[in-house]
Amino acid sequence: MSKWPLLLALLAAGAQDARQIVEESQKRHRSQSQQYDGVLQVFNPNGKNSEKRWQFFRSGNYGDSKALLRFVNPPEVKGVALLIVNHPERASDQWMWLPELQRDRRVALQDRSTRFFGTDFSYEDLEERDVSQSDFRLLGEETLDGHACWKIESTPKKGKFSQYGRVVSWMRKDIYFPVQYEMYVKEQMVRRLQYRRIERVNNVWSALEMEMFDLRRKGRTVLRTEKLQYNIPLKDELFTLQALRRGE
Amino acid sequence: MKPLLPLLLAAALAGQAYQQRGYLDLRTTLFPQDGFNDNGHVIADALFRYEASAKLTPWFKLNGAIDARSDTHRQTERSARFDWQDRGFLRPAFSFRRFSATLHKGPVTIELGKQFIRWGKADILNPIDRFAPKDFLNVVDNEFLGVLAARLTIEKGSHTFDLVMQPRFTPSRTPLLNQRWVIWPAALQTPVPVVQGAPDLPGGVQSGARWNYLGKGYEMSLAFYEGHNHLPQVDARLIPGRVELFNRFAQMRMYGGAGAVPLPWFTVKAEGGYFTSTSRSADNYVLYVVQAERTIGEWTLVGGYSGEHVTASKTQFDFAPDRGLARAFIGRASYAIGTDRTVSGEAAIRQNGQGAWVKGEYTQTLSTHWQARASFTLIRGGADDFIGQYRRNSHAILGMRYNF
Repeated sequence: MSKWPLLLALLAAGAQDARQIVEESQKRHRSQSQQYDGVLQVFNPNGKNSEKRWQFFRSGNYGDSKALLRFVNPPEVKGVALLIVNHPERASDQWMWLPELQRDRRVALQDRSTRFFGTDFSYEDLEERDVSQSDFRLLGEETLDGHACWKIESTPKKGKFSQYGRVVSWMRKDIYFPVQYEMYVKEQMVRRLQYRRIERVNNVWSALEMEMFDLRRKGRTVLRTEKLQYNIPLKDELFTLQALRRGE
Repeated sequence: MKPLLPLLLAAALAGQAYQQRGYLDLRTTLFPQDGFNDNGHVIADALFRYEASAKLTPWFKLNGAIDARSDTHRQTERSARFDWQDRGFLRPAFSFRRFSATLHKGPVTIELGKQFIRWGKADILNPIDRFAPKDFLNVVDNEFLGVLAARLTIEKGSHTFDLVMQPRFTPSRTPLLNQRWVIWPAALQTPVPVVQGAPDLPGGVQSGARWNYLGKGYEMSLAFYEGHNHLPQVDARLIPGRVELFNRFAQMRMYGGAGAVPLPWFTVKAEGGYFTSTSRSADNYVLYVVQAERTIGEWTLVGGYSGEHVTASKTQFDFAPDRGLARAFIGRASYAIGTDRTVSGEAAIRQNGQGAWVKGEYTQTLSTHWQARASFTLIRGGADDFIGQYRRNSHAILGMRYNF
């Protein structure tokens, strides 16, 4: 008897397990809305750092959410805003509002590998994607910072756009919470995102600090969340182009 | 109009949702060459701008912005009055740049008052921005002026409808007769002085409508405008002892559209309008721009072509920087060096090589509040070309800005 059917069955089972883990994680950490004040420290390769602050609002959930992010500091970028409309079946739509020009500007798909306003996050890193847009593979189990984790690889499904050829994530087994991502372009790791200070806020596990390393630029950005709240009432009309222009 | 500022201050004191930003900008412009009619080589400008908004209720917001400015080249009024119209030859020393009330409920937004209305999608040239007059005291370094208007916007799903009514016309501010951005024909000899006369400002209402559609990964819009061109035609009055040149603003109707389509390697944007006029001295024409843009790493690149096709030639003498940039290759590039420095460049090069405008700028953030910049604008070309006629006006700008 050929061994291939058994191997394929095992691979299929592995793929299903990884997907189930990610689905379970998204299910457990679901919240109807989120709001926080973000404090970003951007470190240049030469060690110089600058601070930026934004306010973040999200309504809805993975793949079907809308988010608004508005800079409040430093003064030169105050009022600059990004509206993200995530879709379950495709990449998000993104628009940026530039108060200096009094104009909104659509952020094209192919431009989303660019750094977002001088931080080490790219525009794509600010999206929330539905599990249906990626294929998953369980690479094994590892311990990270004393926590047992699943190591899961995700690759964009055929026809789905991403700057990353694959993303490897570490998911804590005890709370189904991701603690680290490594993003690859071809075989080169280009970014690493680490989640820290993981706490329960309004009954939702949350990382109060995230650090994104840009390994090509050799820079890093630390994002600290303050005044984090979940499941607060946020009107749909906050997440429209008109609201972006009104500066809300 | 003036009670707006106290209202904003009252809102701030009452602890309402109050947002503010602004800056103090100090700038020196250096012209290496004499102008045709202006031998001033250095202009120093100071501008204090303060913008604030107060959300008094979830559906009602007040927006205000004030400018206070001065310069060394008599481009700014010396009187201490507060201006809210921005219709004078000179920049007002103190002015309301914006004052408006925004009301919104569900998909409907209404903005009433002095505001900025931008419809275009392209960069460098926006033929369909008909409610966006500019200050052209420096023709190539200009900024938008607000317009007094009522704007109704309805956003329903992927569709946005915009209706604008502008009851009081705001013209673009044109170059001053005694300064270097007005080019006199070399052979012109007048036995009497030529002076700037009061403009012939149109009454009546300017109105427009736009429909914008957001598709899956693309967007498009159609626009209509009925009113007057904010760019003037220049006419002359013979007055005993002098000739007065004055601006007239031709009736204009525009049928326009714009679109943006992302392709795998770059985004294509196109914008254009067909302009007609009942005036016997204003052309009918098509003005369009097609451009490709791409962001790669720290680079943002925009390149394209702006074109024009005149369907009825009637113009005698006008000042039209938008059409002056037509039949040219246009481009813009910027590169972010680290988090605190940017270099950028812009260019418009006439397809027949008769005119070229190239600008390079370096910006550096010095601290949380301070920013420095240096730019150089090179203008070359022939006397018959809109860009080329300013060939003696190449200049450098050094600036410092304190943001708050």
